[in-house]
Amino acid sequence: MNKALTSLNTFFLILLFLSLIFSMFSVPNLDIDETQSIKVNFYELIQQDDILFDSPAPTTPMKKETKKTSAINEKTNIDETAIISRFNINKLDVKNEITKIKLSKEREGVLRVSAIIQERISSIWIKPNSLSESLIAKVLINLAPSGEILNFNLIEPSSNTSFNESILTAMNKMTFFEEVLSLERNLFEKNFRNFNLVFKSSGEIE
Amino acid sequence: MIRSLSLLFFLVSNSIFSILEIEILKGSDNLSKVAFVPFGIESGIEGNYGSQISKNIEKNMLLFGEFENLAVNEMLSYPSSENDFYYRDWKVLGVDYSVIGKINSVNALGNLNISYSLFNINRRIKILEGEIVGREDNIEGISKIISNRIYEEITGLRGIFDTKLAYVINSDADTYQMCISDIDGKNEQILFTSKAPIMSPDWSPDRKKIAYVSFENGLAEIFIQDLQSGERDSIQALGMTNSAPVWSPDGRSLALVVSFSGNPDIFLYSINNKRLIRLTNHYGIDTEPSWSPDSKKIIFTSDRSGSPQLYEINTKSKRKKRLTKDGNYNARGRYFPDGKSIFFVHGNDGNFQIATKKLSSRYIETLTSTSLDESPTISPNGNIIIYATKDGSNGYLGGITLDGKSRFSLPVKNGSVREPAWSPLLN
Repeated sequence: MNKALTSLNTFFLILLFLSLIFSMFSVPNLDIDETQSIKVNFYELIQQDDILFDSPAPTTPMKKETKKTSAINEKTNIDETAIISRFNINKLDVKNEITKIKLSKEREGVLRVSAIIQERISSIWIKPNSLSESLIAKVLINLAPSGEILNFNLIEPSSNTSFNESILTAMNKMTFFEEVLSLERNLFEKNFRNFNLVFKSSGEIE
Repeated sequence: MIRSLSLLFFLVSNSIFSILEIEILKGSDNLSKVAFVPFGIESGIEGNYGSQISKNIEKNMLLFGEFENLAVNEMLSYPSSENDFYYRDWKVLGVDYSVIGKINSVNALGNLNISYSLFNINRRIKILEGEIVGREDNIEGISKIISNRIYEEITGLRGIFDTKLAYVINSDADTYQMCISDIDGKNEQILFTSKAPIMSPDWSPDRKKIAYVSFENGLAEIFIQDLQSGERDSIQALGMTNSAPVWSPDGRSLALVVSFSGNPDIFLYSINNKRLIRLTNHYGIDTEPSWSPDSKKIIFTSDRSGSPQLYEINTKSKRKKRLTKDGNYNARGRYFPDGKSIFFVHGNDGNFQIATKKLSSRYIETLTSTSLDESPTISPNGNIIIYATKDGSNGYLGGITLDGKSRFSLPVKNGSVREPAWSPLLN
């Protein structure tokens, strides 16, 4: 009996392990690190952005956006059924593939808006000169769906007062991140309602 | 089934624990814009001290190109106290900081009482408030003190407007002058004039003396000159020639180059007991020593590997370490005030430029874009490098801030200017 239980436990452990392995390959790469954070590199993104997006981001109001999205979803469902009936393939596989595509599109949206935010902050942040110090400070931003900055908070200041002050000065210059208007509401809620800006100084002369 | 479960597990865990993080690595190339409002004067006080002081502060703050100013005629108001100060008047003009002040009183002895404030417009807060008393015939000195405080508040670095510069002017083929001046070029003093070359000036840590090399007696000889009395003493170390003196951070000894039978090596010279201690002993040329800020190490140039490269020697253990490997010319090394990086002259394809290197890194960063740069010296706050360079045959002093945002040249002197040495801060 004990042996059977042990085998069962081992089986479940292997199952769990395999599920984790599968999860790694079954979703698009979201650049999730150990602390489960999405990190965005602006310079890569600008290049990706050029390739990924042929047309500029829509800036139409949120309501129209939602209608448009539901129409797309409807069309996707029809396509899904048609594909399944035509090729008689596993419905679950198709659903997974569609999930992957949706996630990929979400990722593109998040990356695009992140890149714009990154560029806007970079253009107003007057970084103090701190040659030999590598500094990091983290600011938590609370946004309204309109893009208005409701609040920001230096949650992890660096050891350098001037560096912290320069960040607060830059943040005080910003009032809106209206770029989030181009995102679906659920994407906004998931990613931009609260997000972090991580200011870094490499300690190198630039 | 497993795949679906695992995907669900992943999505749930992701949505519960993750928060988007956007990294900001690059800052703006723009400069902070500062409004220097003419200082107000309490009624009944004569003279235009108010505008004199604000103009001096403005000149100081703009000296190294680190800030942008707002012209006085573009200002919407001229407040002299916090009660008259409205942030919107400055925000609308894109100002980042505003400096205001007032001459409150002048007493019978000619002492001015001055108050001043600094505002961060974007944060809508007063970040500095001060009061200073100084003589009316020392407006420049008072302005420098206020400028230093403002600079320190904005940048977090020590203010350097009361520092000085030593340099050598070669006014014609046969005249060399050892000079010092304020860092803005004013109040120039000629310490010594010679028909023979003068080189390698270096300030004592207390700013009271300067050591330099003079060829007035035919051979390279080190002199120490007292700035107050003007007295000069040759240190008369042993050997054929003595050169490249550099004061230790405690001011008790000099690192220098002594050449016995034509082979230059690095020595330490104790000023009190006039003893020489040998640091290097190599058939190659060892020269241009300089102390680390903690006095434990000395950087020097040596051609022991076949080309001039920088080395570091521990003054106690005498253990040596090569610091540069890139290129076939790296010389005249100096430590940054924090001791973590060095700057030096880097030669590449016949161009000689000022470069920096973190001691923890193997990479060299070239700072300047001119081609015949030499003798770099750093501001005591570690933020600006001044170096000698050439425009045709004429030598002048160029400067650069370490963030690379500002490049400038110092006022042209009557002759070729070489060998700049930035003084330490007044303690």
